[in-house]
Order: sequence, then structure tokens, then C-alpha cells
Amino acid sequence: MLAPSLAIIAFVVVFPLVYSFYLSFTSYTLLRPIPAWNNFANYQRLLQDPIFGQAFLNTLLFMFVTVNAAFLMGLFLSQALARTIRGQSLLRTLLMVPMMFAPVMVGFQFRWFFNDQVGLVNNVLTSLGLLNGSIPWLVDRWLAMFSIGVATVWMNTPVVAIILLAGTLSISPELYEAADVDGANSWQKFRMITYPLLGPFITIALTILSLDVARGYDIVSIMTGGGPAHRTELLWTYVPRVAIQESKFGLGAAMSFVTVIVTVAFTLYLFRQLLKSRIL
Amino acid sequence: MFRHKSLVLLIAAGIVLAACAAPPAPAPQAPQQPAAEPTQAAPAPAQPAGDEPAVAGVDRRFDGVTLRAAFIGGGQYEKMYESIKDWEAATGAKVEIVYKGDGFEIDKKLKTDFAAGTGDYDVVWNHTSFFSQYIPFLEPLEKYFTQEELKDFSQAILKSATRDGHLWLIPRHADISVVHYRTDLYNNEQYKAEFKAKYGYDLAPPETWKQFFDHAEFFTGKEPGLFGTNFAGKEEALSGRFYEILVANGGKMLDENFKPAFNSEAGVKTAQFFRELYARKLVPADMTSLLWDGVANNFCQGNIAVHNEWFGWYSYFQDPKSCKVAGKFDLIRQPVGEAGIRSGWAGAHAFSIPASSKNKEAAAALIKFLTSEKIMYEEAKLGFLPVRDTVWARIIADAAKSDNPLDKKRLEIAQIAIANDFFAPPLIAEWIPLTNILTPKLQAIMLGDIDAKQGLDEAAAEVEKMLAEAGYYNK
Repeated sequence: MLAPSLAIIAFVVVFPLVYSFYLSFTSYTLLRPIPAWNNFANYQRLLQDPIFGQAFLNTLLFMFVTVNAAFLMGLFLSQALARTIRGQSLLRTLLMVPMMFAPVMVGFQFRWFFNDQVGLVNNVLTSLGLLNGSIPWLVDRWLAMFSIGVATVWMNTPVVAIILLAGTLSISPELYEAADVDGANSWQKFRMITYPLLGPFITIALTILSLDVARGYDIVSIMTGGGPAHRTELLWTYVPRVAIQESKFGLGAAMSFVTVIVTVAFTLYLFRQLLKSRIL
Repeated sequence: MFRHKSLVLLIAAGIVLAACAAPPAPAPQAPQQPAAEPTQAAPAPAQPAGDEPAVAGVDRRFDGVTLRAAFIGGGQYEKMYESIKDWEAATGAKVEIVYKGDGFEIDKKLKTDFAAGTGDYDVVWNHTSFFSQYIPFLEPLEKYFTQEELKDFSQAILKSATRDGHLWLIPRHADISVVHYRTDLYNNEQYKAEFKAKYGYDLAPPETWKQFFDHAEFFTGKEPGLFGTNFAGKEEALSGRFYEILVANGGKMLDENFKPAFNSEAGVKTAQFFRELYARKLVPADMTSLLWDGVANNFCQGNIAVHNEWFGWYSYFQDPKSCKVAGKFDLIRQPVGEAGIRSGWAGAHAFSIPASSKNKEAAAALIKFLTSEKIMYEEAKLGFLPVRDTVWARIIADAAKSDNPLDKKRLEIAQIAIANDFFAPPLIAEWIPLTNILTPKLQAIMLGDIDAKQGLDEAAAEVEKMLAEAGYYNK
């Protein structure tokens, strides 16, 4: 059974990877799809491309903020849910509502929320008398990144909450009873029992979350398209812009590989953390 | 208890967010791309046409054939596709529309699929601005269409669809830029007096781009939510509008040797025009995210005083059920730029057959049906400018009988504009990639992220590099 599995993996994973790696050393464009070897020209060019650098930094910053925000909110929700006795299953189901939306739909929803003329947010602020005029949520660099971040956190928080809830419910109640006997308060029980024992679950949740956010194309593409003027450009909006819109497929492939290397390194780091937390 | 309440509140907030998440009222899409053609495209009123059936009799040659199509979708474009069932009934063939999107989405899809060899289509939407990119993957059409079949089409448009001696497109409809303005604002006596006092000349539809700017400035904020103007602010749409005014100001996009020329003095002035409109908040702040449907929707909702638009939106704007400006707007030819030029960006929507199609005869038959006089006439009634002389004659005759004088006037303006103001983007494969370099720089200039000269210089350097790599300077 090993040979067919290897063949399938080679076909669906290895071949595309190898072929696109080869293309990253060529001047292949969609308008002239004939690969001509150009050594490291694409890699040299991307290193000199200020937009690529900006997209790289934007991606790191975006990941750092949204992953942490989704993690903290998911952790809070999981602890609140774990302590809910009545209606927990209903609340769990409701919590999963954002997970049922396709990322494209989430993008459309939040693009409307943050629309500066007819959007929900500006209308609510105006109705409350907090705003006179309109806030260009999706135009200003930081406001646009914030808006995309809100959409991303809204969509990803339930995943974290569900994983951490499963972890929390798997902790033996005897540990908490013993802590009660010792007079521990809620914070002490959380800090000394819950959080350490959630370690593997946190790592799993963070791994899934980080990879999901790092690949996040749909929401950004729908809400801002990486613009205006590259202000919200992330790696995964910039790569298709270069590869498809500008037709520079070879350069786009090189950008993808640099991005993949960084992502793989980050994933390896997270898995090491996972192993460590399991050993502990 | 507190925890429970907090949790319930949080989740309730989430549900409210989800419930509020009903998508905004979809702005009807219309002409995604400019269209049309130069000079003689001026529709010569031809013979009065009869009601020729689009499907002449029953032709079962294609019984059992299934055609796969990629078409432009949305709003006014959909009407045509409703007629496909008639062709299917007459021929026994089936048409499967496997992809629909706006013009820019189709462009990305086709480029990728053609290059990868996965474009399993028989008929595709195409455009005079886009087709040069796909020529290696298209089937020349002259062998499927006789001279007799083509003689009713605008010969100028057919010429612009011809490269290297081959015909690559069969046009569907055309369009050209035209200024739309709100008559309720321009005819307001109080506004007229205020305008005269402020600017020293009479308020009348803009004859020059300078006046256009003054009008945008004057009308902004005159009524709640009213902006002076708006432009499509992303993709090729922004570069095209820039190009249009650049030409009016005496500039060029590329010189005779294909070197970028848009960073000239005229280019800087043109870019500065957009910058000033944005910086002074005479356009909506989210203009940089708008495409054709967005700007048209803004005008339709009465939020814009005057703007550049396509003829194809006409029936949408005149529908009081969907538009607040119905019956309250008029059209005028493009304003004159600093070089004394009126420039109307133009092009044509069309159909092509990919070279990889296995059903080329059937595909050609479908295109003949979709571009027949009957179907084109139905589209022309929506507002699109037809590309057949006979259809022009019919809509002119219809307009002459209309109670609304604008029905006739718009066609007269279109004829004059096509004959005099027409200009098309350079017919090079790199046009769309060029705009994908230029547009983000124009956005940056508008937003004040970069100086106009520096932004255009940087874009010019990138464009020159791209064209050099494509071999333009080796010839």
C-alpha cells in the first residue's frame, strides 16, 4: 500500500512544488508561458522590492496581533463556557456560528460593516452622536489593518475557544477540589492548574490559528484587495498580484517559496513547542 | 452569575453581528469595461431593419454538443444569457456557463487557465483592451464568419479586433466615456447664483476639466452626503481614467518606441488633478476601492453631482425603482483638457473562441446568435451601444418616438463622441499588466503617500523594465 500512497503524494504535492520551484528560476510569464532560465534573478528582484518587504512586515505584524487577540478571546470564552452549567451545548453551537461562514462571506460582511458611507459601524457611531462625518475604515493604513484584523479574529476565535474548551473539560475535577480545600481562588486555580494543563491544547490551537491567519487571503482580498496603494498588502495578496495580475509568474513563484520557507520554519517552531509541552 | 451574563452578552453580540451581516444591497453591475472604437464606428444609420429571427430555423448539426463558456456576469449583462435557451432549443446543443465574473476577474481567470493549458472553454467573453494578451491561445475567427455576415458590424471595431491579419473577436456592444450630471443641481437657481459669485462664470455642464474640478468643488457638501464627483479607483479602471485625462492634457501613455511617457508634465498635472480631488474630499474616501458598479451606484443614489460614466448604464439610471436620479440627469461630451483635446476612452465587449475548443463550429454558431441583430437590439434597449449598423438604425428610430428627449440626445452624443473623441488603450499584450503597475502608484499619489512626479517616475521605471523584458526594445 505504500507505493500508491507515495505516488499520489508525489503527484499532488511533490510535483507541483518542484515544478513551481523550477519556475521560480525562470522568466515565465502568463503572457509568454515559456520558461527561460534566469538563475537567481527573481530572488534578487524580490529582495530589492520594497512592496515585498512591506507585505512581509505587514504579514508578521498582522499575524502577531490577530493570533494573540483571537487566542486571548478564545481562552476567555472557553473558560466562561466551561463554567456554564445550563445551556452549555446551545452556547457551544452558537459559538461555532462564525466557523460556518466561508471566509469570502466574512470578507463581504465586514467590508459592508466598515464601509465609510453605508457601513454599519459608521452608522452606529453617527446614530450614537459619536461621529460627525465618516471614518474611512478601509482606506487609512492602520484602520484598514484593524478592520481586517477584526474580521479575522471574529472568524478564528471560535476555533480556539472550542479546542481550549475541550482541553479544559478534560482536566480532572479532583485537581480543582484539592485546590478548593487549599483555599485557592479562581485566578490561582486558573494560573496554577488550568493554564499549565492546557499547554498542548494551546500549542495546537496556536498552530492551527497561525497557519490559518498566515494563509489568510480571502478576507483581505475581499475587504481591501491589499490596497489601496499596497497599504494592506500581505504576502498572500501580493504574490497573486505579481504572479497573475502583473503576469510575472516566475517572480511570483520565487515570492511564494520565500514565504513558504518562513511559514515552514514557523510551523516547525510551533511543533517543537507542542512536543515540549507534551513532555512537560 | 456575572460570568454567565458576560458570556451570554458576548455570544449575543456575536449573533447580532452575524444577523447584521446581511450583505449590502448589491449594486447592479453594468459595463465593467469601457468599450468601443474609433472613428468610423460612428453608426451610419443603415437600412431600416426587420424583425429578423435570431435563430433562423432549426439547425440540428450540433445536437448533443455541450459548449463551455466563460462570460461576464451581473446586472444588465445577464439579460442576453436568458436567450441562450432559444439557441439550445433550435440547435440541440447545450451551453454550460462554467465561469462568470466581472471583466477583471475573467481576465485573471483566462490568463491563468490559458497559460496552464487548463482553459477548457469553447466561448469566452473578451474585450478590445484585453484580447492582445490572449492571442496565442485564441482561434482566428475569419474562417467562421463570412464577409456577408460581418458587413453589418462597425468596420472600425472589427479593425481594432484584428491583429496580425486575423480577426480575434466578434463584438457584442461598445461604449465610450460620457459625462453624466444631475440636472436638478445644475438648474437650481440658488446654486447658479452662488456659483457665479464664487467662480465668476455661469454654472453650466463642464466644458473643460478645469470647470469639472470647479463643479466638483462647488457641489461637494451642498446637500447631505453629496460629493462633487467620483471615479473608479482601482484596477485598470483608474489607470484608464488617468489615461483619458492625460490624453486631453496632451500627454501619452507610451511613446512611439513603447517607452513610458506618462510621467511627463501633462502626466504630473493629471495625477495632481486626482490628488486634489481626493485631498479636498471632493470624492468619497473609499473611491480607491470602487469599480464601475460602485461609482454608478453612487451616482444612482444621488450622491454624486457630475462624473464620467459609460452609456451602458442608461436604463439603470432611468429606472425610478432603482435610482434616485431617474429623470434628473443629462449627458454631455467629455470635457476639453489643457491641450484642447476631448478624449473618450472607448472599447468593445466581444466574444472569442479559444484555440483549444473542440467545438469551434458550434461555438461560432453560438456567437453568431449572441451577436445577431435581434439579441443586440435587446441589449441596446438596455442602454448598451450596439455595434451593428442595422441596430443603430432601429434604436435611433425608437428614440425618435420616445417621450424622453434624452433617449434621442444620448444617441446623438454617442455618435459624435465615437466619431471625434474616441481613443483606445495601446493594443499591446502588456496593457493590463502595465495598469497593474500604474494603478497602485496613482492610488498612492491620490492618498498623499507619494509625490505625483516621484510616483509616476517609479511606475514608468517599472513599466519600462517590464516592456524591456518582453522584448519591446530589441526590435
